[in-house]
Parts: sequence; C-alpha cells; structure tokens
Amino acid sequence: MKTCTVAIDAMGGDRAPGEIVAGALRAVDELGVRVTLVGRQEEVAPLLPSPAPEGVSVLDARDVIAMDDEPVSAVRKKKDSSVVRCAQAVRDGAADAMVSAGNTGAAMASALLRMGRVKGVVRPAIAVVLPVPGHHPQILIDAGASTDASPEWLFQFALMGREYAQVRLALDEPRIGLLSIGEEPGKGDELRKHAHTLLSELPGFVGNVEGRDFMHPEVDVVVTDGFTGNVALKTAEGALRSLASVVFGVFESSPEAKAAGEVVIPKLLEAAETYDPDLTGGAVLLGVGGVCVISHGASSSLAILKAVGVAADCVAADVPTRVREAVAGAG
Amino acid sequence: MPAETHLERGPLGPDDVLAIIREQLSEILEIDDSRVVREARFSEDLAADSLALIELVEVLEQELGERTVGFSVDDEDLADLKTVGDAVDYVVSRLDAGKMSA
Repeated sequence: MKTCTVAIDAMGGDRAPGEIVAGALRAVDELGVRVTLVGRQEEVAPLLPSPAPEGVSVLDARDVIAMDDEPVSAVRKKKDSSVVRCAQAVRDGAADAMVSAGNTGAAMASALLRMGRVKGVVRPAIAVVLPVPGHHPQILIDAGASTDASPEWLFQFALMGREYAQVRLALDEPRIGLLSIGEEPGKGDELRKHAHTLLSELPGFVGNVEGRDFMHPEVDVVVTDGFTGNVALKTAEGALRSLASVVFGVFESSPEAKAAGEVVIPKLLEAAETYDPDLTGGAVLLGVGGVCVISHGASSSLAILKAVGVAADCVAADVPTRVREAVAGAG
Repeated sequence: MPAETHLERGPLGPDDVLAIIREQLSEILEIDDSRVVREARFSEDLAADSLALIELVEVLEQELGERTVGFSVDDEDLADLKTVGDAVDYVVSRLDAGKMSA
C-alpha cells in the first residue's frame, strides 16, 4: 500500500515554523507517513536534522498568509504562499492531504479554489471533533465554513457529517441532531424548520438538539450553519475557560482550600486534558476534492502530529469519495 | 466550452461570455443553468456568496486568460457586480481592454 504523503503548511500558525516542523518530524517517526514541509526553504531547512530523515522533503514557497490577512483576497494575491502551495500539491497529486495551522479562512479558500468542490456539494463545511467526557467524541458541522446556509445545505452538512462520523468515530449509524432552540420539530427559525423536514428522511436523524447537548452523549453529530456553529463553538470555549477560572480561584480562597488544592488540582489538570485542543486532531474541511485538515492557531508539535494522523485516516478511508457518493446517493 | 473552441470562433461577444458564465456558475452553485440570466442577482436570486463568486472568477481567469493574455479580475471590482449582466459587461470590457493593450 502506498505511503500517505501529507503537505504541511510550515509557515502557518502562531508557533510556526518551529512547532510545525517538530510535529511533522514526529509524524514521520510515529505514524510512518511522508511529509512535505511547505514554506520558506531558508527558514524550514535549518530546523531539520542533517541529513533530513527519510520521508521528509521541503517545498519552497515564498509567501506567507498572516493570521489577520483577509483570507480570500490573500489566497488570490499570494499564489506562492505556503498554504496555497499545500492545496496545489494535493490537487497535482504530489501530496495526498494537507494540514495547516494558519489562517483558517485561507486554508479553506485555498482548498476550495485549488482542489475544487466535490461534485454535487453546494458548499463545504468544517467538521470539528468535540470531547465528550467518558464517551466517544461528538462532531459539530459546520463550525464556520459556510455562513448563509439554506435548508439544502444543512441537509448536505448532515450527510457529510454522517460519513465523517462513520470514519472518525467508527460508528455504523451515527445519531444526528439539528441544532435549534427546542427539541420539537416546529421549534426554530424557518431555516431550521425546513431543514428538519428534509432531515427527517435521513437515517440516524434524531431530531432537534439544543446548545446544552454540546459535548454530551445524546447525539454523535450536531448539524448547523457555519455562523451558528462558530458562535456555539466559541461560546463553549469561553464557558469552559470561565468555569476553570472559578474552580481554580476557589483553591486560592483560604489556607484550607489551598491545602485541598494541592491534592485536587493535579487530578483536575489531568481531567482537563479531555478538553486539550492539541489532542483533537484538528478540524476537517468536508466537501472539497481532497483532504484538508485545519489545526488550531496555537498548535504545538503534538497538535500537528494528531492533525497529520487525522489526515492520514481520511486519506485511507477516502473521505472525499465517500462524501461524493453520499451526496450523489441522496439525489 | 473549452478555450480552444473560443479561439476558433473569433472575438467573444456578450452572448458568448454569458454562455460561459452560465455554464460555470450553474456548476459552482449546483443549480439549473436556466436560472443564470442577465437579470439574476447573485445574492438574492442565486444565493451566490463571495466564495462562490471567487470560484467563478478563478475559472474565468483560467479559461479566458488563454484567450486574452493577462486577463484578470480585480477583487475590488467584485463588490460592484450585483447581477449576472454586470459580470458579463465587466468581463467583456476587460477582454476589450486586454485586446487594446496587446
């Protein structure tokens, strides 16, 4: 079987290129994949051991798209940027997948414009894996790719999320919920009501779910539009951060609490690893003609290792073809 | 319609450009091509978002660039293109400008 080659945006992310290159080297060593580090040769090459390990190559790309660049315009203007060249490598068959921890919008636009959309897919969607304590994770789709969605788009997001959950969570029949403001089918705006009608035909659809079902085991795939999905995701992050601040603040409140903290805090930190974004493996852009994994901006080498693992799994399962067949099968 | 065919047919007029845009945009938006008429508004009638329009621009640049060297669309101009007809007229004017400077 052909070894999977992953093009990695070496210049993308707050900790690039150091952590990105370190993660790529770990991926070669621990996962047995090949990597192509895409970025400025003079900045990337010195970070590699000499001689470079087998399975590691560097593709020179002169431009860099910054985190605060306007994504679409930057992708159009900076055609020799590391992220655009990653997507191009996948399109041209030089790589099987791409990973970027850089500007999310730029990674998405690069993948869409260079790899193209899967035939039949109207808009791509970002699938994010959310931790569920004591249970397998949950998938949120769309976490921000396509904002002004129609009911038909939501139906396709559900189809794509179903395929991805079967691959990523190894579930035969994932339970799919539509994010709304009440469980009854009539709850929500016109978009949600119409989408509910379309989704009622989909195997595994369990009806509406609410924000409180996030990161809970009631449902495996949460479907929503990109605007709502991104707000919900950031709200959950903010709530968790706030909760952590309250909990850890308690241990500073008195000498007795501080003493208790010495016992409890290590256990709490261990439990908090469930929510470590470095461990989730990044988000996957579904609906484009190749595998594109987007890792978070502050990615460490561990996050890149995990993201490359997800990319390799998606290549092995041929997720783009699964998406195409699912969409075609739904007519 | 491949670019080679255009070359054999001579200069592109508004109807030719409309045909190209109709074919490409209907594919991008996964809609029936009969909906892509001059009067159709990108946002309100076709639900084409900015990313869809950029997809269209990239395809047009690739296809028409083979015919008129250096044909390109300024992203800044996209905001002014509200309808399919606006896009057709804009592309025709850019093609004419390209010919003049050649």
